[in-house]
Amino acid sequence: MSTSLRPYLQCVRSSLSAALAISNFASQTSERHNVPEIEAASSPELLLNPLVISRNSDERTFIEPSVNSVRVSLKVKQADEIEHILVHKFARFLTQRADAFLILRRKPVEGYDISFLITNFHTEAMLKHKIVDFVIEFMEEVDKEISEMKLFLNARARFVAESFLTPFD
Amino acid sequence: MAAPEIHHLFHNPIADHSFSPDKSTLAVARDSNVELYQKSGAKFSLTDELKGHEKTVTGVDIAPNSGRIVTCSQDRNAYVWERTPSGWKPTLVLLRINRAATFVRWSPSEQKFAVGSGARVIAVCYFEEENDWWISKHLKKPIRSTITTLAWHPNSVLLAAGSTDSHARVFSSFIKGVDTRPEPSAWGERLPFNTICGEFLNDSAGWIHGVSFSPSGNALAFTGHDSSVTVVYPSAPEQPPRAMLNVTTRLLPFTSLIWNGENEIIAAGHDCEPYRLRGGESGWQLTGTIENKTGPGAGTAREESALHMFRQMDLKGQTQADIQLKSTHQNTISTVRVYEETDGVLRKFSTSGVDGRVVVWTI
Amino acid sequence: MSQLNYRTINIDVLDPDASINFPMDTLLPATLPAPTTSSAAAAVAGEVRQLLRGGDPAAALRHVLDTAPLGGDERAKEVHLAAVTEVLQGIRQAEMSRVLEGVCTGEDGGAERADCLMKYLYKGMASPVSAQTPRKSVSPQSTGFSQIQGRNLGEGGGGQQMSVLLSWHEKLVELVGTGSIVRVMTDRRTV
Repeated sequence: MSTSLRPYLQCVRSSLSAALAISNFASQTSERHNVPEIEAASSPELLLNPLVISRNSDERTFIEPSVNSVRVSLKVKQADEIEHILVHKFARFLTQRADAFLILRRKPVEGYDISFLITNFHTEAMLKHKIVDFVIEFMEEVDKEISEMKLFLNARARFVAESFLTPFD
Repeated sequence: MAAPEIHHLFHNPIADHSFSPDKSTLAVARDSNVELYQKSGAKFSLTDELKGHEKTVTGVDIAPNSGRIVTCSQDRNAYVWERTPSGWKPTLVLLRINRAATFVRWSPSEQKFAVGSGARVIAVCYFEEENDWWISKHLKKPIRSTITTLAWHPNSVLLAAGSTDSHARVFSSFIKGVDTRPEPSAWGERLPFNTICGEFLNDSAGWIHGVSFSPSGNALAFTGHDSSVTVVYPSAPEQPPRAMLNVTTRLLPFTSLIWNGENEIIAAGHDCEPYRLRGGESGWQLTGTIENKTGPGAGTAREESALHMFRQMDLKGQTQADIQLKSTHQNTISTVRVYEETDGVLRKFSTSGVDGRVVVWTI
Repeated sequence: MSQLNYRTINIDVLDPDASINFPMDTLLPATLPAPTTSSAAAAVAGEVRQLLRGGDPAAALRHVLDTAPLGGDERAKEVHLAAVTEVLQGIRQAEMSRVLEGVCTGEDGGAERADCLMKYLYKGMASPVSAQTPRKSVSPQSTGFSQIQGRNLGEGGGGQQMSVLLSWHEKLVELVGTGSIVRVMTDRRTV
């Protein structure tokens, strides 16, 4: 598992650390506002070139940096339709509870399963490298979680099928 | 090298800090207030609060001779605070800007101060006797984005500005009746208001975070979001610079820098520690950190089992699990300032950061 | 009556001074090389292939990075990316560090080559993988209740090519630090 996962996570880690060099920045388009520039996208010079890190065609991380915020989007591996459903449900479960996650974005960026929005207020209140750790840990956990859920689902399906068919034995 | 003096004031970001000339008073910008700390023994204790701004204060500067404090904030205003027997009295400055004020500094002559803003202008402010208020003149062209940082030339006329449009510029802020005509220099001879004496862009662009003139005023250093420091030596007015030396680093971007003599620069930023650069007209290079790495953080690293360590490396691509950084500052350093100097040579400098610490370093 | 709904027009876009109309070309330095065409890029790719066949991967990498079409059109950039990928894949894992040290350090523009290589690594990862297998259209029967076969083997489409890029990335970050990644983001001279 880890032979190709490690360089992938390492790459995400270094890219994210580089992108998280953000600072407080008041909007230059609307008076007395201070909004994440990556979401407002009102001044092109305040957005930097986005980075894509991919492990293969189904697993990608998309990092969009700006002057005061960074958007990180993940595409979780979905090998078949069950995994597709599981990932979808899992992401939905989390985004509905986005308040508790602080950096979770309520809606993923198009083409990705789950997105984080990290602003300068997060990097001020939390340790930067711990935010990176959290994202990395999340990437790892979500993979494991989906695998487990799939195994569990298969086991349950087998059990249901068996108990359904027993009377006809 | 003496150990740095660390003052952990609170757990909020410090946007800017300024010491009074006798170093007994420290002004720091915290949220929408400016707090004044008085030195008692080795510690600083809160004595006064300057309340008046409605949004995050972005800049604070104490004038060394007059003792006046100027502050600016994202609520578009700037105040000049004067000490009266009944406390600090604010005077509103007519900035005439419609976006956040981002940075403020007194000129060395203390007759003027400059306020950078998100309205793509720099307001150069001076006191008008007859109306008894502070008014401003705008430096406008050719700024295309928010001004992030400013620095004065020793002659109080030239002003360097960095902006998120990736350009560092040198302007003339000559105001008739306030300034005396400056000596001609390599930057320019005749300097009417809003003369552009230099406009510089790095190859790899990046927002400019810090600018600084060398003590003589004959060189300009700026640092941007591309993790590099650029030093410019002007040749003659209207001519391309004699040398423009760019040092790219392997670090995260710097946010602020100061000169130590003509051949050394101290810069700090997102890597949470100050670094030293040395060089001259023939070339500059990064020589290393000023931080003493055997400091407090290093000793607290816990012993980890080998299995745990390898598992961490394997699963997370992480080499050590830590909650505390090894550096003195625990988060981005936002401002570096001169603390003590003689003839442009530094003895001490101070830094403040997002972690709520003000640190005084001895070189 | 006009059918236009005036309330939904973003009037800021119409103002040339609005910040949304920031002139991005002012972020490009004056030293930008002249635009290259795709045929020129193809010629470079030929030379590089020759160097690679001649058993000098370091020279091939050096050449391909020195001739990056920073000012070229999309087509030229695509062709050049293919050449870079070929060189990167043509260098064995064991030789990576040695080649990188030779190409990306040193006084003669080593730092620029490092930044350029970093741009290509990210571009390589961003570009859609050519050999994409039509896995998505597999019938439900064969997937439905399959066991977790191959789930964590990290072999989706293009996994091989990506793992090459990822290991180059790791080696390069070790050598030139995160500063280089920051410059990939800020630099408007894209490859």
